[in-house]
Amino acid sequence: MRSVKLTGQVVALAAVAGLLGLLVWRLTHQSHPPKVGAPAPHFTAKQLDGGTFDLASVRGKPVVMNFWASWCGPCKSEAAALEQKWQKYSSQGVVFLGVDYNDVSGDAKRFLSKHGVTYPTLLDGSGMIGDRYGLTGVPETYFIDRKGRIVGDHILGPITESKWAEAFDRGIKAALDS
Amino acid sequence: MILRAAAVAAAVLAFAGPAAAACGHPRTTLAHLEGQIMCPTCHTTLDQSNAPAAQRIKVFIQERIDQCATAQQIKADLVTNFGAGILAAPPRKGFDLLAWWLPIVGVVAGAVLVAFGVWRWTRVREPEPAVQAPVDPETEQQLDELLAGLD
Repeated sequence: MRSVKLTGQVVALAAVAGLLGLLVWRLTHQSHPPKVGAPAPHFTAKQLDGGTFDLASVRGKPVVMNFWASWCGPCKSEAAALEQKWQKYSSQGVVFLGVDYNDVSGDAKRFLSKHGVTYPTLLDGSGMIGDRYGLTGVPETYFIDRKGRIVGDHILGPITESKWAEAFDRGIKAALDS
Repeated sequence: MILRAAAVAAAVLAFAGPAAAACGHPRTTLAHLEGQIMCPTCHTTLDQSNAPAAQRIKVFIQERIDQCATAQQIKADLVTNFGAGILAAPPRKGFDLLAWWLPIVGVVAGAVLVAFGVWRWTRVREPEPAVQAPVDPETEQQLDELLAGLD
């Protein structure tokens, strides 16, 4: 009888420890935007036009990473402006990446075609990349320098808004200069 | 008369044709699937969400229904696009089966534990025989002397 009681206590303790472990894991794995100066979270993703992209493959180049979705209104308003920036800075070696977040890929293709976006687009249907970057919504934009670190402001809106337009230019400069 | 009948038949076919002719199986419905698919941005099922992403997925589902896709095909398309997290309930196969069985196992184990506890708590216990503590010889001698003094 004593051994049954002891076994019950051990099982109960194990269950409580397991629940506590889950709580700690959840608290420590909540997504937060990466801090400026921190390494950009690594990821691989499918490209909309086929193939797989690895963030490590653009190490040594400044990167502009824009999260968007076809169902997002502000993303439509900034699409043309982003394409213009891409045309302007691509000659300086800046890599533009569009990350299509929680979207239907067919819709994404139509969106890019309609808005004339020509830089590469990565698929993030599950939202995994967005989680790693602590995304709060779309559109949002990050800048990564040649050493693979986050630089500049985390842009939380369309770059057509004046305050984000200025932040965008500062971000590109930071990515190019470092 | 014949011309009129032919015109009516053509009109009926024109309206009924696209919806009914193409499908060789019963069509699923958006209402049926809405409760089984999650909105990826708001983490509720589609029937509880009006978020733009949810609206767009509803349109996608309706388009696939119109193309005669089955519920399973539509779910498979959504999993390919959004990952398994788009499904409100995990598939009943492989590792995901654990999600179905573990709660049942937990409930059964809990019931067994409660039943065992109740059984132990309510069973009639036999009175334990009183155990007399041994008296050391010195104390016994003192007691004998005390009793002798009383006599």
